[in-house]
Amino acid sequence: MIRTIEVLFVIVILSGAFIGASYFAVLPSPRQVSPINLNRLSLTTLQLLDSNYDLSGAAFETDNSTLWGELKVALSATLPPNILYNLAVYDVNENSGLLYKNVTSISNADSLGATSDVSSYTVASSNVTFNVTPQRIGDSGNSGTLYILNCSDANGWWITGYTAQSLAQDLYASLSPYFVNTVMVQNTAQLAQLLSGNPLQGENLQNAVVINTYGEAVPIPSAYCQAPYSNDAYAYYSYFLGQKVNSYNWTWSSIVGYPFYYVSNTASFSSSQNSWGIYGMQKTAQGGVRAFLEGLDNQTYVNNANGVTSDVGVVTFTSQAINFCNYYGLYPSSYQTSTRALSNTILQSYDLTIAFNVFNPAGAYNPGAIYNHIAAGSTNVTGSLLAIGLTRTPDVRVTALGLLSYYQPRLYPSEYTANGTSRLVVLQLGLAGGA
Amino acid sequence: MANATMDHMISLIVFIAALLIFIGLFSQSISTAITYQSHGALSTKNSDLLDTILLNPGMNATWGTDVGIPSAFGLQDPEFTQYELSSFSLMRLASSTGNVAEYDKTSPSIYYDQTTSGFGSVLLTPASQDLNYSTALRLLGINNTYGFQLTLIPDIAVSIAPTHTSSPLSLAISASGTGFPFAGAMINYCFIMVTLPQADIDYPSYTMQNGVVTTDQQGSASVSFPSVTDSNQVYAFIACAHLNGVAGIGYFTHCSTTDQYVVPIVQDMSSQRIALANSFDLNSTNPALLSLKYNATFVISKTDYTFSQLLLGISGGPNIVGTVASGAGNPYQAITLPSYTTGILVVTYQTGGSTNGGIILMPWGISSLAFPVTFGYIPTRQDWVTTDIRQVTVDGIAYQAKLELYNSQGQGRVVG
Repeated sequence: MIRTIEVLFVIVILSGAFIGASYFAVLPSPRQVSPINLNRLSLTTLQLLDSNYDLSGAAFETDNSTLWGELKVALSATLPPNILYNLAVYDVNENSGLLYKNVTSISNADSLGATSDVSSYTVASSNVTFNVTPQRIGDSGNSGTLYILNCSDANGWWITGYTAQSLAQDLYASLSPYFVNTVMVQNTAQLAQLLSGNPLQGENLQNAVVINTYGEAVPIPSAYCQAPYSNDAYAYYSYFLGQKVNSYNWTWSSIVGYPFYYVSNTASFSSSQNSWGIYGMQKTAQGGVRAFLEGLDNQTYVNNANGVTSDVGVVTFTSQAINFCNYYGLYPSSYQTSTRALSNTILQSYDLTIAFNVFNPAGAYNPGAIYNHIAAGSTNVTGSLLAIGLTRTPDVRVTALGLLSYYQPRLYPSEYTANGTSRLVVLQLGLAGGA
Repeated sequence: MANATMDHMISLIVFIAALLIFIGLFSQSISTAITYQSHGALSTKNSDLLDTILLNPGMNATWGTDVGIPSAFGLQDPEFTQYELSSFSLMRLASSTGNVAEYDKTSPSIYYDQTTSGFGSVLLTPASQDLNYSTALRLLGINNTYGFQLTLIPDIAVSIAPTHTSSPLSLAISASGTGFPFAGAMINYCFIMVTLPQADIDYPSYTMQNGVVTTDQQGSASVSFPSVTDSNQVYAFIACAHLNGVAGIGYFTHCSTTDQYVVPIVQDMSSQRIALANSFDLNSTNPALLSLKYNATFVISKTDYTFSQLLLGISGGPNIVGTVASGAGNPYQAITLPSYTTGILVVTYQTGGSTNGGIILMPWGISSLAFPVTFGYIPTRQDWVTTDIRQVTVDGIAYQAKLELYNSQGQGRVVG
């Protein structure tokens, strides 16, 4: 008998265990087991309503009953019939201590049922412009001047379809916010003034950036249209420019093609043309860039007319350049054609190092890069060259990208939480019916 | 001794019986919990999978506009972010609700997946260029584990019906959302009225008339065209209802004959080449010799929802005319659409030797006529199918994307 009683005790214990386990192991409701993802549905509904910025407009005009009536219709029309909603707008204010303050709300039910989820969406006022303030190159140092060659008495080459002046305007618009001073060099006389070491507007001459908007041609002041600068088809003038770039630690920017291939002065060369019908030019040819690099490296001038570029075809931005495209909001095509890529041999011959590759190298050639000159035995940079060896016609955004990628000025966006600029829209969705 | 033995036997029997009962009870609880767990995992997988499909353009990203098979499946428009889908990627999905049509005059493709929403609008895409369900399963990495059906349904249904057929022609427009009438919505419409000439040498022509009306509290509106005095007048009416960024499209066509008609067929997606076939040649091995005169044009909906024509003719004109005859020895006509811009190919036709004709619309890009999309397959008698939905836009038209997912390895298996 005693065994039977023991078994009954065991049954009681097992029953207790089952009841206990059943009590604690509460299964969720079927709706919770396999729910519609209300969070994502809510977010996508908010995005849909704001696809034409109508939600943004309504969020800042909460007293406009017409606008809110339309919003309610659109919201009700897009959601399935069994979905309940509550859409609330909050003012984002960091000054009063209360970060989010409810402004208004609309709903199609008193209660959102047992299951609900929520998404939030920040909208900006159309009356507010969110500025991005760039850090200025040279703000904290002995630099910060951008010279853009805009000489009225010179002609360009390989800028077909543009004028140097229009390119200069584009570069001014895109780059001047990033520099302490931007100076347009209006004629070759002003260029001569710079080359003699005299600022035009009291700006800092040292460590400046000089952009040559004339493509393969370089403006030459009339005073330099004579020997020795005219030696070897004006290759010596390029040598002289190289010396100045070294002396003032300039960054010389060539926007397209073969650098220093021509010199141009419409007054001094009024009767000579570049063999393609553009007057006011003298052809230096391939010796120009070598002479420049000799000057940059403080070498003794030797005329060397051997070619130093190659036609490498289609080239692509480096991944770093693509990142900077996104950062600075410059979007030239990442595929370009390079027919004047500079050879790597110049690195050793003229004490150059590549500071930034705009394009991925094509074998032993660099389609677009910034070269720093660092003299043997020194660690200081004494002059730089940005050479964009693309084929015509130029996209000056590539030049701007190259310079910004090299100097990397920071961008400071304005605060989205400033008073009255943003509102938070919260859409809570629930399923009709019980749990 | 006998009592002890009886006690032992009874207790043993009772114990074994109790043990079996409790094993059954506990197993039932555990089984239910595992089933719940399986269903919960399936639901999570469904949400992830839906976002995977909708938030990536696939690889390569332009697979919707070329003829390649992607190496990853996704429907996002590569030029946009978030839940904006490519109208052309959707057009390449082999519909699971459409039919297959055979047109043996084109080569190499002679089979076409046919999607239609009634007479007057049709979309035939080459079956050889369509992405089928099994390939999508493989690209998503869920073949043999899950099955799904993806459905895209326009948020806003715009229906049009004539209330008076002539003098004037009156059309009633009704716009409604999935759960509410589309009240107070603007409706931009385009009325294309076709003129069928008497002379055999002339081709059908048309006039386009744009306008705007607003829906009332029931989502209804009406428009009248006094210039229509003949109840046999051939016309097409396309309406786009929009409010607060939510837009939907509807259309209505009226033809004086539907015995034979022109069928536009997407012959090649990548070159945007459209073959114009005589309906007698479709699915027919020995069609009668009949000819149709046609006039084709391309209509787009602009960002402000107004409709306009895009240049289609080689000579820079907006339309192309010609004749398409059925039967062997009569080659099909073909036109090339101008670009990968979503729009509507409008083909008016006229039966040779008569003044009867009609008008056919073909969406170039699934959203231009708000065609629904059904892709994938849910077998009947599935134990458990989970559903998740998102709001998406396809070239400005609001759709609801619904994914139904089931576990093809059977209930109770947790996969992934």
